[in-house]
Amino acid sequence: MTVTFPDERMDRVLFSEEQVTGAVARLGGEITADYAGRDLVLITVLKGGAIFLADLCRAIDLPLTVDFMAISAYGPGAAGAVRITKDLDDAIEGRDVLIVEDIIDTGLTLSYLLRVLRQRRPASLAVCTLLDKDARRIADLPIEYRGFSVPDRFVVGYGLDLEGLWRNVPYIATLNDDIWDG
Amino acid sequence: MTEESHEDFEAQLPVSERVAATSFAHPSERVAACILDFYQIEWRYEPTTFPLEWDRQGNVLTSFAPDFYLPEFDLYIELTTMNQKLVTKKNRKVRRLKELYPDINIKILYQKDFRKLLFKYGIPVASRHHSEGGGLDAAVSDPGTDA
Repeated sequence: MTVTFPDERMDRVLFSEEQVTGAVARLGGEITADYAGRDLVLITVLKGGAIFLADLCRAIDLPLTVDFMAISAYGPGAAGAVRITKDLDDAIEGRDVLIVEDIIDTGLTLSYLLRVLRQRRPASLAVCTLLDKDARRIADLPIEYRGFSVPDRFVVGYGLDLEGLWRNVPYIATLNDDIWDG
Repeated sequence: MTEESHEDFEAQLPVSERVAATSFAHPSERVAACILDFYQIEWRYEPTTFPLEWDRQGNVLTSFAPDFYLPEFDLYIELTTMNQKLVTKKNRKVRRLKELYPDINIKILYQKDFRKLLFKYGIPVASRHHSEGGGLDAAVSDPGTDA
């Protein structure tokens, strides 16, 4: 299938809409089997994980709740240390928490998130990511549910953005290497 | 890139007291330490020197000190931000390190990896001239906000 990209910096489709839908269904099935009879809460980090969470929670055939966090990122103008810019609405003590990520790259954000959430004493804490890019992984953390392993390329679509754009495209595309190579 | 504008850019990046107090061999190591500090990852700078080659008297001829050790992950990190064609020697050292110390976990971040990491955090980079030691520096441009 030929795709007309909305941005010339997109390079090629890495995972089609059908492939993404299939991965979400598979992960939903695995989570449904593993969490039956438990008190499941899905937590994602805004903004990237919101699209995946929205589809994943509907692929899980269990009672569950969802909650959202936002975390500051390193970069020009950032404060001295990572901080929560939007905290969870509900307590997670004693609950079975599944962190839902769009992509895990270095693992630094996830490492921080796990540390913060562990202190709140959930009954269990696990990670589900749609994309696992381990080429530059620094914080090697356990990932219980993984949609796809991805090569060391910048990707966009299905929640992942380029300068805030293209989170809404239904597939995942790689970006031209010129984007970072100048 | 002018010295003045480079300083302007660096002033926008969060730098911990510990990073400010540490003498790094290369600017890229300083940026890496800033990122680790930001995410509250404990690090030690060049804490261990591994002997790699000895003479017949047992004197160390060659050794290697990876740039960072992350105790939480029991991981050494070596930043190799020089041009790829110049990294062969360092690759050889890391290979030898793994042979002699198989229990040591070490990860090399090459120039390409480091460039991508900086891009991810909205930090533009510039290549340093060979006469300045090569490698990468954070460069000046419009600071991004979405990392």
